Amino acid sequence: MNAHSDIKGRRSAKGGKKQSCVMSRRSFLLTSGIATATVMVTMNAGTASAAKMPAAVATYPRKKIARLSQLKNDQPVEFSYPDEGAYSTNMLVKLGTQAGGGIGADRDVVAFNYTCTHQGGDMEGTYKGDTKSLGQCPLHLTTYDLTRHGIIIGGQAYQSLPQILLELDGDDIYAVGIFGLIYGRQDNLKA
Amino acid sequence: MATPYYIPETNVPLPPTDADVITTACDYCIVACGYKIYRWPVAGGKTGGLKASENAFNADFPVDPLGPWVAPNQHNIVLHNGEPHHVVILPDKDTHAVNPDGDSSVRGGIIAQKCYNPQTPTRDRLKTPLVRIYGILQPVTWDFALDIAAAVAKHVIKKHGANAYGVKTYSYQYVENTYAITKYALRYINTANFTFHDTPSDVTSTPGFRDAGFDNFGPSYEDWMNAEVLMVCGTDPYETKTILYTQWIKKGIDNGQKTIWLNCRNTAGIAYGVKHGGLWLDVQPGTDVVLLGAICRIIVENGWEDKEWIKNWVNDKWGSSSGFGQGTRNTPWQWRTTWGNFQTKGFEDWKKWLLGQKEFELKNAAEITQVDPKKIATAAEWIAKPGKDGKRPKSSFMIEKGFYWSNNTGNTNAISMTAIICGAGGRPGQVVGRAGGHQRGGTRGGKYPRNKSPMKVPGRRRRALDTDTWLLAGHTRMAHAIGTTWIQAMCASERMSAAFEDLTVRNPHQIRSYDKDEIIETLKNRADSGGMVLINQDIYLVDPVGARYADIIFPAATWGEDDFIRANGERRLRLYQKFYDPPGVAKPDWWIIAQLATRMGFDGFDWKNTNDVAEESSRFSRGNRKAYHMVKVAAHKEGKTLHQKMAELGTDGIQGPTMMKRDGTLVGTKRLHDTKKELSPTGAFGLNMQNKKMTHFNSQTGRCNLQKAKWSLFSDYWEWMKPKGDELWSTSGRTNERWQSGFDDRRRPYIQQRWPENFLEIHPDDAKARGIESGDRVMIYSDRVPSLKNIIKGVEGSDYSFTGQMKNGNIELTKAAVTAIAIVTRHIKKGVTFMDFLVPSQPGNSVSGRIPDWISGNYNYKMGVAKVKKIGESQYKKTFRSMSFAPRDIV
Repeated sequence: MNAHSDIKGRRSAKGGKKQSCVMSRRSFLLTSGIATATVMVTMNAGTASAAKMPAAVATYPRKKIARLSQLKNDQPVEFSYPDEGAYSTNMLVKLGTQAGGGIGADRDVVAFNYTCTHQGGDMEGTYKGDTKSLGQCPLHLTTYDLTRHGIIIGGQAYQSLPQILLELDGDDIYAVGIFGLIYGRQDNLKA
Repeated sequence: MATPYYIPETNVPLPPTDADVITTACDYCIVACGYKIYRWPVAGGKTGGLKASENAFNADFPVDPLGPWVAPNQHNIVLHNGEPHHVVILPDKDTHAVNPDGDSSVRGGIIAQKCYNPQTPTRDRLKTPLVRIYGILQPVTWDFALDIAAAVAKHVIKKHGANAYGVKTYSYQYVENTYAITKYALRYINTANFTFHDTPSDVTSTPGFRDAGFDNFGPSYEDWMNAEVLMVCGTDPYETKTILYTQWIKKGIDNGQKTIWLNCRNTAGIAYGVKHGGLWLDVQPGTDVVLLGAICRIIVENGWEDKEWIKNWVNDKWGSSSGFGQGTRNTPWQWRTTWGNFQTKGFEDWKKWLLGQKEFELKNAAEITQVDPKKIATAAEWIAKPGKDGKRPKSSFMIEKGFYWSNNTGNTNAISMTAIICGAGGRPGQVVGRAGGHQRGGTRGGKYPRNKSPMKVPGRRRRALDTDTWLLAGHTRMAHAIGTTWIQAMCASERMSAAFEDLTVRNPHQIRSYDKDEIIETLKNRADSGGMVLINQDIYLVDPVGARYADIIFPAATWGEDDFIRANGERRLRLYQKFYDPPGVAKPDWWIIAQLATRMGFDGFDWKNTNDVAEESSRFSRGNRKAYHMVKVAAHKEGKTLHQKMAELGTDGIQGPTMMKRDGTLVGTKRLHDTKKELSPTGAFGLNMQNKKMTHFNSQTGRCNLQKAKWSLFSDYWEWMKPKGDELWSTSGRTNERWQSGFDDRRRPYIQQRWPENFLEIHPDDAKARGIESGDRVMIYSDRVPSLKNIIKGVEGSDYSFTGQMKNGNIELTKAAVTAIAIVTRHIKKGVTFMDFLVPSQPGNSVSGRIPDWISGNYNYKMGVAKVKKIGESQYKKTFRSMSFAPRDIV
């Protein structure tokens, strides 16, 4: 079976587009913990018609995803973020070597989205401890360097793997944001 | 908006339902995937929504895998009819050809970033003509620049002869432009001082294919997928022809295709092939002839050759002697000037020669090539050994630059003989060809005037003029460089750079006037004094040929800025449509040439638009592999223009040579040399051409020439070149992320972040011995770069070998140095280093020998040696934003 038909046949698989998880925007906002705040923004700034308008701005949720003390080198932990929608599966890993955006005493704990930013291949299970990389993506063989903000090592993606911004609070690791657009979405906070 | 420092974005505008949709194909590599441009005005602030009913893709967001997702890098803002427009450029999800799954590479995928937008690093596109006045390139009008260029050109040609006007041009940037350029240079100026971007002389890049009778681009993409065994030499198509790999070869591998890779690097596509049962032959640079000779030897010793095929399709003594049937003066010259070195009397004669070559004995071959003899034997078995039922494996053979720019004549002969005895070349899934580099956009508007070349080889044969050597000797008084870096793209030797500088900016005759006539007089005096006037025509200012040396710059319009026709690596023709305004007053190359030619008094350049040029050029395509003349005939029958008809064919396009049926419908040609194809018994109708290459091979008899690939014709150079002391092989190429797209990649923040500088891949053992770690800044240097002096010196045939030229004192040893960032990696063979050759600021080719292949006239760019030392740590070593030092063989 080739990878193409494989992916098409598993749209609802973990990390793929989850039909079962599609929910109304209202219930999604309520359950996923995304904070919606009403802020005042200036429209047509600098012009005579400049006016303060209210606008709804969704911000990234702060979500506890793991405890630092329980992470073992090169053993990825899976979590969903920023919601439970399509392509929300991510991996948290302690690389054992310092990395861009890493947290912890050794600055070696990082998290990335599992979906290839080329054409949406699911890269779960492709982490390599010897090269601290993700991939090859089963669809078109892209590989990503997790020590360097998920930059492509080689392959066809148009951008780095979205990196999950992490915060450490005591032993608790929180996901607090995303750097880069998740595959399939038009906006990270719209799923 | 993109900045030189790449900052990923977290949302992207979607095209609304009423966005314009325009088809095109990618501008970059040979594969030319089909793309769609979605264009809508910025004014009004309209964008598409997340529901299928709200966007131009008719797709719900988030989209499925392989769906019409828009990455932020696929969006840009351009001017269209003077008004800002959004463009989103995606691989065509509806196409049936080339990239049928709507796949794209990292290069084409972000082609939207190519478009001129002053908010992005494309802001340095050339926007007006420039003339170097008081040492500074200053904006002028078209009339001002063209009048100067034409007046000086006329003077140079009249006083110093046509060969004093040199044209160095791309061969591929659309048929309209190449036709105009060659009509001007070859038909009208009629200069022998003419060549294309990739070779110092206008000669074939694959002499062995040509002499065997193979077209470079005969196969269809499905043939590469359908081969049971695929031997790929000197390239990883995943890195360099991505979609040919991901959409065709990978599907073959997933279906059980066995792959054999001749390469000194184990990159992603090779690693994937090997993981699925393939074989990596980690050949020492330059020794492919010996490797393939050894494989052929095993095949014939075991009687595994395709006897039936050889009987029917290989020339015997008489067939070989009939050559190419074009008369002795016009044959491929390497065939006729090397009597006995290549030609055989057929299979038995060839076999006798093969078995007499000591270096082809397995033990010797393993030693020279440094490849495990067991692997060599396995490769021979895979490509040729019939199964128990007597059924032969369907084997195909693909080559590219790492192979044919190492030992140009020898390697292309060696792969031809290997393919022929395996029965490859003319059947589905059993093909031989190039994978390809750039796309195929050449239509010749004139014939190369070989009889005007002063360069001769024994037997009174003239060879095409070596334009680099000619320039070094001071014979080029006016040079016109079109769309090539010239210096870095050739051997980037210190001698070449110095010659350009001496002949142009160091000449005493420099423009120090505001007056057009005075300027013209100055430049005439420059040419007459032995100096050189330089015109550079390009989309960006290129350093150094334009930025430092040129007197006149013509700004060119390019992809998306006019309508153009071009073919890909399976001869598939498409229209690349205009969808936005060129920057400033930049004009397409055909227009620039037409203006210049008209001012020089040439007639026949009064084209009104790009379709006029395409229509004039079509008859010159007749008989060639991408003949598009019948598309014009069909178009006119329907009252349409050629470009209108091509636009109708969309991203599927049509494979050349094109034919028209009596009812006016067009038919393409799946593969050349198609021995299974049946042509109309009554011959071609109307203006259709049924020529030999469609069903037979390119020789007089239509059968293949089985030739000798002699190691001895190259081994003297190789022995001299191979690393001595602590030298390492220094070879070069490009990486997946920047291939056939370097001019744009330097202006794409994400690619700049991935590859901010040139790099040097080095094996861990070699690095350790030199105290080098990944991220160190290294110096690659050599005091042993051989360079041909002013002209070839010699009388007898033997004088023309490397040894002969050395003995005649015609080779000087020059020095070179280039810096790079070390990548210590397991994916490269020990003893070998690899750089990108087209980083203009760190030209990897500068350590390559500037010695043209003495049979073909091409450079063997991939052959170089150098020492490597650490000069310190780079900023990339301990920061994490740029580069990656991970290996490319991760599977």
